[in-house]
Amino acid sequence: MAEDGTPDLPAPPDAANRPRIGVDEWVAQVEGRRARYRGLRGALLERFERLPLAARFALFLVPAAVFPLLTNQGNVFRYGLFTLVYALLALGLNVVVGFAGLLDLGYIAFFGVGAYMYGILASPQFNNHWQAEFAIPVVVLVTALIGLLVGLPSRRLVGDYLAIMTLFFGQAFVVFVNNANRINFPFFGHVDLTGGANGLPNIDPLNFFGYKLQTTNEQYYLLLILIAFVLVFLYLINQSRTGRAWRALREDPLAAELMSIPVNRLKLLAFVFGAAVAGLTGAIYGTIATAALPGDYDIGLLITIYAVMILGGFGSIMGIVLGAVIVSSVPELLRSPGNARPIFYGAILLTLIVKVRPWRRLAAILAGLVGFGFAVHAIAHAAYPRLVAGSAQGSDRFAHALNHWMLYPNNPGKIADVAYVVLVAGIVILPQLRPLLRTVLLVPLFYLVMFVWENLLLEQISGATRLILLGALLVALMNARPQGLFGKAYVEIV
Amino acid sequence: MPETPLLELRGLGKAFGGLQVIDGLDLTVNEHEVVSVIGPNGAGKTTLFNLITGIYRPDEGEIRLDGANVVGLPAHAITNLGIARTFQTLRLFLNMTVKENVMASQYGRTHVGVLRSMVRTPAARREEREIQRRAEEKLAFFGERLMGYRWDQPAFSLSYANRRRLEIARAMATEPRLLLLDEPAAGMNPHETHEITELIGRLREDGGHTILVIEHDMHVVEGISDRVVALDHGVKIAEGSFESVATHERVIEAYLGLGAKEAG
Amino acid sequence: MDWSLFFDLTVSGLTLGSLYALIALGYSMVYGILKLLNFAHGDVYMIGAFIGWFALHGLGGPLKPDVGAWFAVLGMFLFAMLGCGVLGVAIERFAYRPLRNAPRIAPLISALGVSIFLQNSALLIFGAAFRDYNTFSLIGGKTYNYGNLYLSVPQLMTILGALGLMLALTLFVSRSRVGKAMRSVAIDREAASMMGIDVDRVISVTFFIGSALAGAAGVMFGLVFGQIYQFMGFIAGLKGFTAAVIGGIGSIPGAMIGGLVVGLAESYATGYLPQGSTFQNLYVFALLILVILLRPSGLFGRAVIQKA
Repeated sequence: MAEDGTPDLPAPPDAANRPRIGVDEWVAQVEGRRARYRGLRGALLERFERLPLAARFALFLVPAAVFPLLTNQGNVFRYGLFTLVYALLALGLNVVVGFAGLLDLGYIAFFGVGAYMYGILASPQFNNHWQAEFAIPVVVLVTALIGLLVGLPSRRLVGDYLAIMTLFFGQAFVVFVNNANRINFPFFGHVDLTGGANGLPNIDPLNFFGYKLQTTNEQYYLLLILIAFVLVFLYLINQSRTGRAWRALREDPLAAELMSIPVNRLKLLAFVFGAAVAGLTGAIYGTIATAALPGDYDIGLLITIYAVMILGGFGSIMGIVLGAVIVSSVPELLRSPGNARPIFYGAILLTLIVKVRPWRRLAAILAGLVGFGFAVHAIAHAAYPRLVAGSAQGSDRFAHALNHWMLYPNNPGKIADVAYVVLVAGIVILPQLRPLLRTVLLVPLFYLVMFVWENLLLEQISGATRLILLGALLVALMNARPQGLFGKAYVEIV
Repeated sequence: MPETPLLELRGLGKAFGGLQVIDGLDLTVNEHEVVSVIGPNGAGKTTLFNLITGIYRPDEGEIRLDGANVVGLPAHAITNLGIARTFQTLRLFLNMTVKENVMASQYGRTHVGVLRSMVRTPAARREEREIQRRAEEKLAFFGERLMGYRWDQPAFSLSYANRRRLEIARAMATEPRLLLLDEPAAGMNPHETHEITELIGRLREDGGHTILVIEHDMHVVEGISDRVVALDHGVKIAEGSFESVATHERVIEAYLGLGAKEAG
Repeated sequence: MDWSLFFDLTVSGLTLGSLYALIALGYSMVYGILKLLNFAHGDVYMIGAFIGWFALHGLGGPLKPDVGAWFAVLGMFLFAMLGCGVLGVAIERFAYRPLRNAPRIAPLISALGVSIFLQNSALLIFGAAFRDYNTFSLIGGKTYNYGNLYLSVPQLMTILGALGLMLALTLFVSRSRVGKAMRSVAIDREAASMMGIDVDRVISVTFFIGSALAGAAGVMFGLVFGQIYQFMGFIAGLKGFTAAVIGGIGSIPGAMIGGLVVGLAESYATGYLPQGSTFQNLYVFALLILVILLRPSGLFGRAVIQKA
């Protein structure tokens, strides 16, 4: 019995997945502690949360500040700049989605508006060459204003309608910038506003009071300083009455409204705030890329930024920075097959180690996998030589070893396509089977995964494969941890 | 009575589809009064609360708070004018801490905007301290129940009775003149019910609140009410002291279902 | 007024509208039951078009089908509808069912993940090139005309086929046991489950039917326009959803009317509005905003009463 006399309710077996009405506080406490601090990640999170605030910021900012000193400009550009741009975008998006609970799928359009606006104010297109200290405030204000205009009609809409409205807005933006070079505007006549499909080229570098930021390092540090400011601002807002009101309305908009919180106004505020951050990032990105191209502001980037935010965990400011590091660097690393293979096999091994217990079962599966491969290879070698006529990509020792274990058909095309479809079907069907059969089939399935990887995915590593992995990752992550990798478990009463 | 009542409903009506849920209702609540609304399920009690707090807009009639019509105002504005409520079904901000729940509902009573809290000006700090203080004060109203280590626990970890208490604390933090309590004793055991009865008395005596309460438990109603109003099918069927309403013929009919036969 | 242009636009609007209506039905049924925005639906439609193409080539190709041309067309529809139906059920099982009690945003993200997964899987397997249905060789280029009204065979087939499918669906939902179960699950899932309805099965059936309709729409698109490609699902899905919202999401007749409204609006915008052939999607968007502002619950939707 609890101290105030309410009888304890027995916890149902699937308690973790259900709304916890009526669960006694002791049970909830213990469950909460278990959910939050389990395993290595839990231990790290706990350590992290005990650090004083300044130390937490330093933990991110110091390595980031040192990074350009340790590597060359190419790496700073490829890894550093993009990580920071992603982080900044995700931080803005997090205000909209994580704090206020609005699903904004037109977010990237504001990023695009920022870049194009800056291009219009500072490039040869209209022969404007504004200095950054004037251009950036104007760009931020204009994007905020556009955010207000898009947000106003969405105000009375329920979440999902807002999603579709903003998705359409994002699409409309892409169509518009692709074709705006052909429009006859009322009053102005024909104006080539956006350069159409070729984009706005030759955007000026950022020019603060006559000082031009041109090198990658300068741009990197500017972004880093900006992120530091945004992090501090967001932290302070989160602690303030506005932050509390955002969290309250995300929990229960109706109750929030009745507790004197103007829900619509605050939603709009979050939406506009997000748009302004995206616009600011866009302006800076435009000067880094020195051009505004319509293809940069499409659905692909939107999904990437969502992936950053989700990995980080909704509403968790620090997690997002980490998410940006992962999302920006992993695909870059995957780009070359030499890196991609170790990452892929490492990830598979790690999944097995984490997911399969006890270790005897893990050992059995691994041994089975090795044996299965040699057996299949031997059978194919004897019966269908065509299946082993090809060879693995690369010439390192690992690739040589693979040649004796994995099937490499001479011209994998159709076989690999079929294998891919079978693989996807297998992954869907496997969880529906009985446990014993599942364990037995796990070995050929993993072999099939590697077959498809070696013969199909590795070929397309810089194109479709990365996005396939990203999509699969999103689905898997939502299945395993809907609150994101570093987010806290979230209780919701449906 | 010469002075204006705190809350005055005149000819209030609301229909959903063809169903008249509230029909020509007149009701007044005077300052420092505790009025109970009783009636069988479906009598329109919760709808009445939803109309007063601005969740629904009435089809006809007026809702006057201190003489000023509030019909058509958004719900948060009505709360700011001084009407706060609790929910029968409990709608706490479950993932926020106990203290944060009470701090969040002070939004309408505070003023520091985003820009000032972004750089944390002295005024912002002062106001934040004030919000903290007031939250602690409201929570202290419930004795030990919501104090100490519980401040920083998420609301979902509270027991059912404590959730009901926190709902009341959260509503009190909006500094209302009129507090609407929707079945505060629902689902509570006799001991807790007794405590709630006392609490409502203290809310009036110490807190100075005027209270309109929906309640099914007749012991609670008897213990707290200055006046009782009985509703059935959206119509006021009796009003007066607890004794007079509880023994009123039509009220007994409504509860026992004889009225339906005669009316049909 | 140029009547022949008007008739042309009307016919192509009705054709497009039929496709959108079929897609919208899937969105609307799923939304009605799960309150879930199934972003992957447009990609199911794309996969349907590809299954149709493979079925056609499996049956001997458009130039010399092994069976009669009409049987080939029938086979394409059957395979596409069956394949997409199964795909839809699998998506629900894998990506949505584990998330029923998760925060509202989780299944949306999951849906987004499925969508990019399907799009890029298609890119991986089918390649980036357009695929040709070669309808002309398959069923000839015959057109029917009544005065100024010209109708090609695929257009006629699409409009009539969509009409037939929608009629069948309406009968199914209003008459059959499963259909009635679907309606009751849409009204209150928990209560339905307490009344002994197998909610999981009903949801699976809903996904099967919705996805099968999208698959049929995919094949129709291929037959009418000749060419199919990987990214055809995105915009079509968006329009299908728009149609569902305009009609009133969750309502089956609403989805049908909404589809026709969007199709006709797009077609007339292309013909009559300034720079319509470039910006027809923007005009559809404007229409959506207008409808949402004037009637947030759509043309056929019912206003929802908030519970307190």
